[in-house]
Amino acid sequence: MTKEKQKLFDQKVVEQLGTKKERWHEETLKGKVGDKKYYTESGIPIDILYSPSDIKDLDFQKDIGFPGEAPYTRGVYPNMYRGRLFTVRQLAGFGAPEDCNQRIKYLLDNGATGVNIVFDLPTVRGYNSDDPEAEGNVGACGVAIDSLEDMETLFNSIPIDEISSSVVTHMPSTTVVLLAMYMVMAGKRGIALEKLSGTNQNDFLMETVVGSAPEILPPKASFRLQCDAIEYASKHLPRWNAVSYNGYNLREAGTSAVQEVAVGIANAIATAEELISRGNSVDDFAKRMSFFWDLCNDFFEEIAKCRASRIVFQEVMRDRFQAKNPKSQMMRFHVQTSGITLTAVEPLNNIARSSIQGLAAILGGAQSLHIDSYDEAYSAPTEEAALVSLRTQQILQAETNVVNTVDPLAGSYYVENLTREMAQRIRDYIEEIERKGGLVAVTESGWLHREISDFAYKQQKAIENGEQKIVGVNHFPAEKKKAAEIEVFRYPETAVRQTEKLARLRKKRDQAKLDKALGNLREKCLSDENIMPYVKEAVLALATLGEIEEIFREEFGLWQFPLA
Amino acid sequence: MSRPIKVVMAKLGLDIHWRGAVAVSRMLRDEGMEVVYLGNQFPEQIVNAAVQEGADVVGLSTLGGNHNSLGPKVVELLRKKGLEDILVLMGGVIPPEDIPALKEKGIAAVFGPESKIVDIASFIRGKVS
Amino acid sequence: MVALGRALKEVENQTPLGYEIIKHTVTKKGNAHVVGVTGPPGVGKSTLTGKLCRFWADMGLSVGVICVDPTSPFKGGALLGDRIRMQELAKLPNVFIKSLATRGNVGGIAASTGDIVQVMDAFGKDIIIVETVGVGQVEFDVMDVADTVVLVTVPGLGDTIQTLKAGIMEVAAVYVVNQADRPGADESVSDLQMMIEESAASTWKPSVLKTVAIDNDGTEQLLDEVERHKEYLKETCLWVGNRRERNIKQLFKVIQNSFKQQLNEYIETNGELQKLVSQVGEGKLDPHSAAEDIIANLIRKTPLGGN
Repeated sequence: MTKEKQKLFDQKVVEQLGTKKERWHEETLKGKVGDKKYYTESGIPIDILYSPSDIKDLDFQKDIGFPGEAPYTRGVYPNMYRGRLFTVRQLAGFGAPEDCNQRIKYLLDNGATGVNIVFDLPTVRGYNSDDPEAEGNVGACGVAIDSLEDMETLFNSIPIDEISSSVVTHMPSTTVVLLAMYMVMAGKRGIALEKLSGTNQNDFLMETVVGSAPEILPPKASFRLQCDAIEYASKHLPRWNAVSYNGYNLREAGTSAVQEVAVGIANAIATAEELISRGNSVDDFAKRMSFFWDLCNDFFEEIAKCRASRIVFQEVMRDRFQAKNPKSQMMRFHVQTSGITLTAVEPLNNIARSSIQGLAAILGGAQSLHIDSYDEAYSAPTEEAALVSLRTQQILQAETNVVNTVDPLAGSYYVENLTREMAQRIRDYIEEIERKGGLVAVTESGWLHREISDFAYKQQKAIENGEQKIVGVNHFPAEKKKAAEIEVFRYPETAVRQTEKLARLRKKRDQAKLDKALGNLREKCLSDENIMPYVKEAVLALATLGEIEEIFREEFGLWQFPLA
Repeated sequence: MSRPIKVVMAKLGLDIHWRGAVAVSRMLRDEGMEVVYLGNQFPEQIVNAAVQEGADVVGLSTLGGNHNSLGPKVVELLRKKGLEDILVLMGGVIPPEDIPALKEKGIAAVFGPESKIVDIASFIRGKVS
Repeated sequence: MVALGRALKEVENQTPLGYEIIKHTVTKKGNAHVVGVTGPPGVGKSTLTGKLCRFWADMGLSVGVICVDPTSPFKGGALLGDRIRMQELAKLPNVFIKSLATRGNVGGIAASTGDIVQVMDAFGKDIIIVETVGVGQVEFDVMDVADTVVLVTVPGLGDTIQTLKAGIMEVAAVYVVNQADRPGADESVSDLQMMIEESAASTWKPSVLKTVAIDNDGTEQLLDEVERHKEYLKETCLWVGNRRERNIKQLFKVIQNSFKQQLNEYIETNGELQKLVSQVGEGKLDPHSAAEDIIANLIRKTPLGGN
């Protein structure tokens, strides 16, 4: 890389163009544009026209470059989608593990290239299916997993040594249990840990900020478990991403695109600091950090966000942590199209929304993509709706030609300008979080919750007063406020089946072995040791998810965030 | 009514997403109501809170699919305590086909994601007096 | 619990039935230890209150908690968010939590706070914690309802210290520097200690404690200190003496509030007086003369001993 700035344009020419633009503004445009000001969704002013003067300071090598090379603005792989298409990763998850196993096979048979499992709320929140707190939620919006045996059923005859699995584990305490189950399950099938490829979510903000629950572990404890899983995987699971910093759900909860990315990177910073303080080197773990972005309706801003996020991550890893391995500086991310932008009225409109968001993901260089189903404003997707999503992905891949050249929007005056602006705002927000003591501190104090609440409140007001337009709702409202007939997917029998399985499991376990394993786990909760080996031991002794989580709740205590 | 209306707002059970419930809480405050936000709770604790707080209205938010079992349970527990005068509302993602059954079981109204706050507020004012 | 809940709803809403309840519970109060927890917003009062409450509840005591939050001055509504911080108490049968909005009352507490304390007391609560926001000098009315006031601050909040310097050191029996794992905690502690030394007005010397409520650090010491203050009050007979003073103070407050309310109603419904009001509004009459006339009229209408 050259040290000296090599500007994209001759500065004299740019200057002349600047004068010409002013002339155009006054002579040609004059009177044809009102006073109304336009902003991107995160509040960046939008000019009516962009020209070279808006990117006059850019240096091609330093700021844009080539894909697969720093600063990775154009993508983390040199050949991008010509090398490997983004993974078509449609969510699957509902009912009992045996039902869900069938759906996984259905999606794989129809061309999905990866597995993406979501769990029901009791599983995600650490309760067994027969727990009174699980009532009404078992198998409802994801698959129910209570024990190692359920994990074995879920992945029965799925080639997990060939395809990659994404397990949407949400919070760290569930991650450590489900990841342990996945590893033990693989081990029992004779698959080496080195062969396991995939991602789990594992974000302490999912527990303490994004979601709410009756029982929440304190931020410090949740963050510690997050780091335990990442540290363990960095040593034993070379092809596994043990964290997916979840900007998606943060965004859905109520943030701008800038905040979404800044908080995700701030979490990566906090993790890196913690793991380095434990004696790890940044290149041990950073190459397996992955991210999860939400793509909403502001088309260009979302593309700029994807590009900017790669730039900022690269800077952080290179400058702040001195990562040497280029892979440690490459931000890889999964995209899911936005759920919050979907409407319950006229649900077929959602297909149009999701397609545009999916297109933005490709233009932003995503590594994998889930396109929301049009019925997601109501329920877990029906088979038909899931197929439409899958087909949308395939249409984008096979029919539009957008995947055949890398980063086609590079050099666009607007997109490049917006990319710089986004990157700067992301840096500023990270700095603000750090000034306030870092991500764990702003979680404990409730500052981050307040930021979300304020954004969501303002957005809701903007929708109610019509400033933010939603077609079919406040803009060209649907004639009849009645939703189309959507078949709602339900699996009420799951609770019964899982309860029976749990009863059988409890009878057949070796109680002494179980007690010993759970005793060990309890002892290690308040120690400095990595918790993972002890969770694995408990899982192998057929401890249930709920039993392990209960130990966490008892040992770490509970916490609630301050309401903004 | 000259005094402010008191609302107890809860996320139902294990439901995760709080933005809707908190945004509605803040906007009902703007409408002059007093809103006690409980976070996530199960029916027993929601009803206890309604009793202790002297609530006029209980608002239940859910997107997680537990509305059919847990919503009516709140109504039932309130009735057992002789508090049938407390208005119980639900909001969130609830399939339209489930609404008639919920109403039959005593849920006064169901407000979907595209409801306007002024409509919710005026519904409450109409019922609580 | 349902009976207390219903009673408090009436009292909170100042209904006629509410006044009956107050009348009938006045002689039954006097046993509960009323503990005020006050301080600026965001210092962790609710978390701290929750932890204290947990200790007492686990000892088998019956605990009442009153959380007061300000009413929005613009629309008259309020968002009462303290209860959520005490969620781990939700399943305990011996804890009763009531959230109140100030409803336009100044002083950091709701007008009905004292009455609600009384009714909880009469219903057999052993401990009643009143949590309020206390920032400026006018916001420490929690003193008027609590036996023992705990003032909570955090490191680096110079404003609180300034407020204290302004001469209201008598407010608290215990000072707490919460979030004491943050930088500057020791400085805050020594600042507070220095001010306590300077004031030294009574035989009770308040201590300054460090807590990290979220980790339950130092909360047990706080509990001990609150208990020690209760012993002190009992030994010095201030337990009774302070309550006597508070009761009388409450009487005058009620008189003033009630007077203000009746005065407003009277003026609003009296056509003669309304004329004076509009003359003042139009600038034809000065407010002093109008006030003199109105008060003279009012006093003539309501002489002592009835009409």
